[in-house]
Amino acid sequence: MSAPPSARAAVPSARASARPAIGLAIDTTFDDTSVALIRGRREVLADLTLSQVAAHAEFGGIVPERASRKHLEAIHPLLDHALAQARIGWRELDYVAVSNLPGLLGSILVGTTVAKTLAWVLRRPLIGVNHIEAHPYANFLVHGELPFPLLHLVAAGGHTLLIHQRAHFEGEIVGRSVDDAAGECVDKVAKMFGYPFPGGPEVDRLALAHAPGPYSFPRPMLHDGSLDFSFSGLKTALLYFLKQQAGRPVAEGPVIAAFFEAVMDVLVTKTLRAARRFRTAAVTVSGGLAASRKLRERFEERAREAGIALYYPPARLCTDNAAMVACLAAYRYEAGRCDGLDLEAYANLPP
Amino acid sequence: MTHALAIDTTSDYLSLAVLRAGEPAGSHYALCGTAIARTIVQQIGALLDGAGLAPEALDVLFVGCGPGSFTGTRIGMSVALTLGRVLGRPVLGVDALSIIAAQTDPGLGGTFHVLLNCVRDEVYHAPFRWRGGEVEALAPIRLTTAARAAAEIGRAPCLVHRFGSVQPEPAAPPEIAVQSASEAPTGTAVPPEIAVQSRTAVQSRTAVQPETAWRPGLAALLAGLTSAPLRHAQPDALRLLAVGLPRYLARPGGPFEPPAPVYLKSEAFRTWRPQSEAQP
Repeated sequence: MSAPPSARAAVPSARASARPAIGLAIDTTFDDTSVALIRGRREVLADLTLSQVAAHAEFGGIVPERASRKHLEAIHPLLDHALAQARIGWRELDYVAVSNLPGLLGSILVGTTVAKTLAWVLRRPLIGVNHIEAHPYANFLVHGELPFPLLHLVAAGGHTLLIHQRAHFEGEIVGRSVDDAAGECVDKVAKMFGYPFPGGPEVDRLALAHAPGPYSFPRPMLHDGSLDFSFSGLKTALLYFLKQQAGRPVAEGPVIAAFFEAVMDVLVTKTLRAARRFRTAAVTVSGGLAASRKLRERFEERAREAGIALYYPPARLCTDNAAMVACLAAYRYEAGRCDGLDLEAYANLPP
Repeated sequence: MTHALAIDTTSDYLSLAVLRAGEPAGSHYALCGTAIARTIVQQIGALLDGAGLAPEALDVLFVGCGPGSFTGTRIGMSVALTLGRVLGRPVLGVDALSIIAAQTDPGLGGTFHVLLNCVRDEVYHAPFRWRGGEVEALAPIRLTTAARAAAEIGRAPCLVHRFGSVQPEPAAPPEIAVQSASEAPTGTAVPPEIAVQSRTAVQSRTAVQPETAWRPGLAALLAGLTSAPLRHAQPDALRLLAVGLPRYLARPGGPFEPPAPVYLKSEAFRTWRPQSEAQP
C-alpha cells in the first residue's frame, strides 16, 4: 500500500546520532484535523486535534466537501500551534508522517499534500501511514512494548477490524465489517432516537445507566464461526422495533442498553474467539468505540474469564488523533520504512 | 530581482511556472486530472532544479485560488501555503477569472467579460478591463445563470472557459514575457493567443459535446454571444505570474491577505438537506 522508498537527497542521518528522532504526524482522514509531534517512540511533544463536529452539526453527519474545506483552514494554524507548544522549529523535524488511507479522499488529500510538501522542502523522509493500522499504536504509546503476537480489535467509525499482528509491520486483517461498522451502527441508532452526531457517548451513558430489561436484539453473524462483522441488520432491527411501537412511548434507556448489549456481545465474543484461534495471549482494543466505558467493563470481565491480557488506550487516544500515527511512524522511521514523494491517497483499505 | 514560483491546479491541468531574477525560467503544463496530487511536489522539485533555484531562494509564491475544481484548488493551495509557512515567504492568491482575463491582448479597449462554467447551468462571471498594462476586475466574481450573464454581456468581448469540453487544448501554453512595473523592459509584450477560435468554430464543437447538450442554458448562451470574439482559455501558471507579480512588486513587503479558495458555492450547503432526514 506504500510506495517503495525513493532515492532522496541529503537525508540527515538522525538514526545514526544518539538523539531520539523528532517526528511530525498529520491525520486528516475524516472530520478531525490532527497533528502530533513525537520524540523517540513515545514522548508526545504536542497532540492537537481540531474537531469539526460543530461545523457539521446541522446535517446530522459529516459532509465530505465541508470536511475538506475545514481541513485546509485548520491545518496550518494547528501546525504552528503544535511547533510552538513543543518549542521546536521546522528544521528540527527528522521525518514527516501522514495518514494516507482510508477515509474521505478529499480530506486525506489535504493532509498528504501538506505532508509531502513539508518532506520535500525540509528534505526529510516521508512516511505514509494506514490510519487503521495506527489505531492499535495508541496502546504502544501508553503501555510501551506489548507481547507479540497480538490480536487487535479496531472499532473505528467506518471500520470494525480484527488484526492479527505477529510483529511490527507484520499484521494481517483476519476479520472485518462486511457492511456497517459497529461505530457507524451506534451513531445511526442514536440518530433514530434524536441524539446528535456522534451518538456514541450518549449510547454509552444510557447503556451504563440502564439494564436491558425485557428487550433483546439480534447478534448478527455471532454463531457462524467467522471473524467478520455485520451490523447493518441490527440497525434495521432497531428501526423496525421503533416502527412497531407506532407512537407508543418507548423505554429509551432499556432499549438502547439492549441494543448496545448486542453490539458488545458480538465485538467481545469475536475478538476473544480470534485470540483463541490465533493463540495470542493479549488483546488490544482501540478506535472511537473503545472509548465506551460500558464496552471496557464487558471486555475486562470476559478477558479475565478467558485468561487473556487486555490493553486499552485512554479515551482521548481512542478517537482520531495524530499521536497514534506518530507512534507507528516512529517505528517505521527507525526501521527505514519510508515512502516517496509520489505517495498516493486512498479512500479505501486494500481489499 | 524576484525569484518566484506559481502554481495553478484549479483545472485538470497541473500548471507550474518559475521566475528567476524576474525572468521566466521554466514552466510545466500537463493534463493530469486526478494525478495532480501524486505528481505536484516532484514536478515542483524538478522545475526548481532545472531553474537552478533552491526552494529557500524563492521570494514569493503565487497560487491560483479558483473558482475551479474544489479538490484541485485545495491541492495547489495546500502546497503553496505550506511552502509559504516553512520558508517564511508571502503567498499571493489570484482568482481563475483574472488569470483567464490576462490572456487577452492588453490593447483591447473597454470592458470585456470572462465566463467560467459551473454546474447546473450556472456560470462564474466577472467583467474586466486593461489599465496601465494590468488587467483589472471591474466587479467581484459572481455566480449567476447563463441567461443573466448573456444579457449583461451583450455584444462585448468575452472569454469562456470549460464550456462543454471545447478543445483543443495546447500541449503547453506558449511562453510569455512577464511584465511588471519595475522589471519589464520598455515596450509592451503581448501575450500570444492560446487558442483563438471563431464563434462558429466554438459553436460547432460544443454542439457535439454531450456535456453541453444537456445544458440548454449554456448552449443558448453561446448562441447568444453574436459578435463576441470567443476564445477558449485555461488558467495557467505563466498568466498567474503575469497577474500576480505586479501586485507583489507594488508592495513587496506586504502585508498580503492570506489566500483562501474561491468556492462561491458554499451557500449551497445552507439549502441542501440530506435525504435521510426525510426518513423517520
